[in-house]
Amino acid sequence: MDLSLDRGDTLAIVGPSGSGKTTLLGLCAGLDEATGGVVELDGEDLGPLSQDQRAALRNRLVGFVFQSFQLIPTLTAVENVLVPLELRGKTGGRQEAEKLLAEVGLGDRLKHYPLQLSGGEQQRVALARAFIHQPKILFADEPTGNLDAGTSGPIIEMLLRLNREAGTALVLVTHDPALAAKARRVVTMSGGMIVSEEVNGER
Amino acid sequence: MAWRDSRSQRLRLLVFSLAIGSGVAALTAIHSLKEGIERGVGSESKALLGSDLRLSSRRKFTDAELSSLGGESVALAQEVSFPSMMRFSENNGARMIQVRGMAGEFPFYGEATTRPADAWEAMKNSNGVILEPAIMDQFSLKIGDVVELGETSLRVVGVIENPAPRGGRFSGFAPEVYASLKDVERTGLLGGNSMVSHQVHLKVGEGIGGKDLKKRMRSDFPDQRWRMETPEDRQENVVGALQKFQQFLSIIALAALVLGAIGVAGAVHTHVRRRLKFIAVLRCLGCPGQVAFGIYFVQVIILGLFGSIMGGLVGILIQTGLLTSLGSELPVSVKIGPEWLVVAKTVVIGFAVCVAFALLPLLKIRGVSPAQTLRNAGEVKSGLFGRMLVGFLLAALLVLAARGSDSNWARAGALAGGLIVAFLALAGVARLLMLLSRHLPRNRWPYLLRQGISNLHRPGNQTLLFLLSPGLGTFLLVTVLSAGSLMNERLEIKRSAESPNLYLIDVQPDQIASVEEVLKDQGLPILESTPMVTMRIESIRSVAGKRVEDLPRWVFRREFRSTYRDELNDTEEIVAGSLSTGPVDPSGFVPLSLEEKIAGDMGVVLGDELVMDVQGIPIQTKITSIRRVDWSQFNLNFFMVFPTGVLEEAPGFQVITTRTPDPAASGNLQRELAKQFANVTAIDLTQILKTVRELLEKISFVVSVLAGFTLLAGIPIFLGTLLNGREVRQRESVLLRTMGASAGQVRAILVIEFAVLGLLSGLTGVLLAVGANAALAISVFDASPWPDSIITFTALATVTIAAVIGGMFLSRGLTRNSPLEILRNER
Repeated sequence: MDLSLDRGDTLAIVGPSGSGKTTLLGLCAGLDEATGGVVELDGEDLGPLSQDQRAALRNRLVGFVFQSFQLIPTLTAVENVLVPLELRGKTGGRQEAEKLLAEVGLGDRLKHYPLQLSGGEQQRVALARAFIHQPKILFADEPTGNLDAGTSGPIIEMLLRLNREAGTALVLVTHDPALAAKARRVVTMSGGMIVSEEVNGER
Repeated sequence: MAWRDSRSQRLRLLVFSLAIGSGVAALTAIHSLKEGIERGVGSESKALLGSDLRLSSRRKFTDAELSSLGGESVALAQEVSFPSMMRFSENNGARMIQVRGMAGEFPFYGEATTRPADAWEAMKNSNGVILEPAIMDQFSLKIGDVVELGETSLRVVGVIENPAPRGGRFSGFAPEVYASLKDVERTGLLGGNSMVSHQVHLKVGEGIGGKDLKKRMRSDFPDQRWRMETPEDRQENVVGALQKFQQFLSIIALAALVLGAIGVAGAVHTHVRRRLKFIAVLRCLGCPGQVAFGIYFVQVIILGLFGSIMGGLVGILIQTGLLTSLGSELPVSVKIGPEWLVVAKTVVIGFAVCVAFALLPLLKIRGVSPAQTLRNAGEVKSGLFGRMLVGFLLAALLVLAARGSDSNWARAGALAGGLIVAFLALAGVARLLMLLSRHLPRNRWPYLLRQGISNLHRPGNQTLLFLLSPGLGTFLLVTVLSAGSLMNERLEIKRSAESPNLYLIDVQPDQIASVEEVLKDQGLPILESTPMVTMRIESIRSVAGKRVEDLPRWVFRREFRSTYRDELNDTEEIVAGSLSTGPVDPSGFVPLSLEEKIAGDMGVVLGDELVMDVQGIPIQTKITSIRRVDWSQFNLNFFMVFPTGVLEEAPGFQVITTRTPDPAASGNLQRELAKQFANVTAIDLTQILKTVRELLEKISFVVSVLAGFTLLAGIPIFLGTLLNGREVRQRESVLLRTMGASAGQVRAILVIEFAVLGLLSGLTGVLLAVGANAALAISVFDASPWPDSIITFTALATVTIAAVIGGMFLSRGLTRNSPLEILRNER
């Protein structure tokens, strides 16, 4: 398959379970090594990079949002948001983190631990974390899969808004056709292949 | 169902059940040893004493007394024993030994064995002496060599293998030398010797109890102040000493058991929490609460059985191993083999304690509602009533378990209570440390450090259990080691030049000048030179000895070695009254200065009148001062100090103390003295303290081994909690990797987490140990309350390093997991 994504573009990957969506996402994000072919992120070939080099690349370029939020239970909301910066050895991002949390509507829950937050709130913390280091590309894996309809709407709105504002490219993996329809390009996979691609208008 | 349900967790649960095993192993070993030794003592009590009655006295038994005693018994044997110098002409050596001059067929019960076997008979026929193997080695002697004792030369006829029962006092500090009583009399060492103990061993045949025998002696010889000992007394002494030691060890073993049980309860708690959804599904399918409870109860029973039985088996191994290795050092012969009844009892106790503790988390199962399948209701609480019931059950079980080592219910209760308090204290310190670790980290600290520390507070991390497990072991070990070092400190002779390390006793008045001359020739200081007179108390406050009811009998039987002088030495001070000096008014009372503690034991106060019997002559005294003495300095100090001008004419001798710089100088002096003054005994304090220290080392070794058991009990808990946390750690590591952490960063976080964990659990133990040590130092040893910094820091470092190594070992592979798993695990 051949797939490329421009800066600031949005792409949804849909398809039945086992069709290879997660594998594709993993390859694109440099989580997994390709046995053949070339994966390039921001012009850099991931193939020859070591695990740690790929990790450093992810830290610089990539943001993640997961289905089950994946917050660190022992850190507060604002500390969770800061993790990508801290891993880079950067200090003093606290104000930014607080600003991002305020943007996702959690300005009053900075010091709450994940266990003290609802599912929707946890995912909003995860959103803030995904944007804190200003990634060039954001991978979202079923970001509303664990949320009810009432909560997932605002989350998607926030995701797309942050994406627009920061000019980040977005890759969405989802079962939800309604969510997929919000992306400009929608790729359908089956049996490890891209079987169709739709483009929903101009960027 | 119980079996199928345990499938994925089986190994982990079994690891936890081993925790209870080490407690059971320790209990089994201790109680089996005690049982074996007690049985040995019971069946060999007469062999412990060697006779039916032992009479001992500082004075020689007269012929009339001997014949009258002989008339009342089937057989009579005599013995004299005293410390003296033996010279080895073969290699020009000399050392202090304990002489035992034997006459008669003692021991009547049991046997003294020698190599060659006929040496005992040869010795009694005045053909020579029998020595201990150690002395043979020290002076490279062989059988047939000649040694010198006092004025005689004697041939070595054999080596002792199993010694004849000893008199107890002052034994074990010097190697024993056996000779016939006749030979000993020929040495000329008996006259003017203040250290001689004369003994008569009696065999009276069957049918007369020890108490009756003593009563008969007292009525037949009303004026004698002999010390009497029967096999029952000896048995009581041995069993009593054993009992205390064994109780102490049992506490440690019980602590290990409880720790193990807490570990199992923690494991069951985690297991049940993992299964909450499954239990809820079962309930949905119509399974009654009791059945769901039953499934896990059966699992606990299997775990408890497995752990206890393994522990019992290990206990048998330890017990037989210990018996095989130190069987010859025990006072009685003990059959080597498992004590099945004891093993069964301790296995049952261990099993019961384990199950009872596990009931606490199990109770929650009954409270799981089928609605849990639909939503996560968080923690399930068990009913208050149920928890209280289990609490009572636990307390009762602990008391029952404690009673295994102490037959007194009240003391067993106190022991169990003490154990609970100790655990609460431990848990309290652990909680406090956790609280600190939660609030101490600051935002400006490096992220990896903050993340590592905050990992301790992961939900369901069982950090408290983790802190408890090595914490208890550390606490016990550090306490034992610190107490040992405190004791050692007390046994260290002060390095100051004023503290003596060699005592020369029995220096006759006409020898004083020449002995002091020898010291000067060898360049040794004369630190003290004091006269000493032996005496007894005749009456207190005009009431004669036998009629004072409320005083211990020893007061009148004791031989006091007193001195006379007009000044205090550096290690004593007056706490009441004032020191009287000579000359004394010949018509009135002689003023007497008494040592504080003995005055308290005798129940006398300032102004009380004592009549002293100074070798037949009564002297009227009145207590005019009480002194406090610092005995730890090893200076010459006395219970009673007379003013000058009273005792000068009484038969006595001089004690001279000196300080030798090294064993060689001490050996030279002893050799010279033994050559010129056979009656003078040199007591080398360094040597005696060495013996005491060796004994203490043996005891503290056994105690440390036992305390080590609590550490052993901690290991399965340690491993189990780490295994329980492995999945969470893995998830976190993968998440961090996904967000761009390098493998090094993930490893650093783990190392910090384990190091802090180890440090905190070490601190938990060390803090408590330091507290216990300070209490001991102040109340018992009168020493500085500050702990031995080497011991404490070594303990802290060891626990921390062990936690890091163990933790990293069990976490190996975590950083190698592909970050992709984070996406896969989602589904």
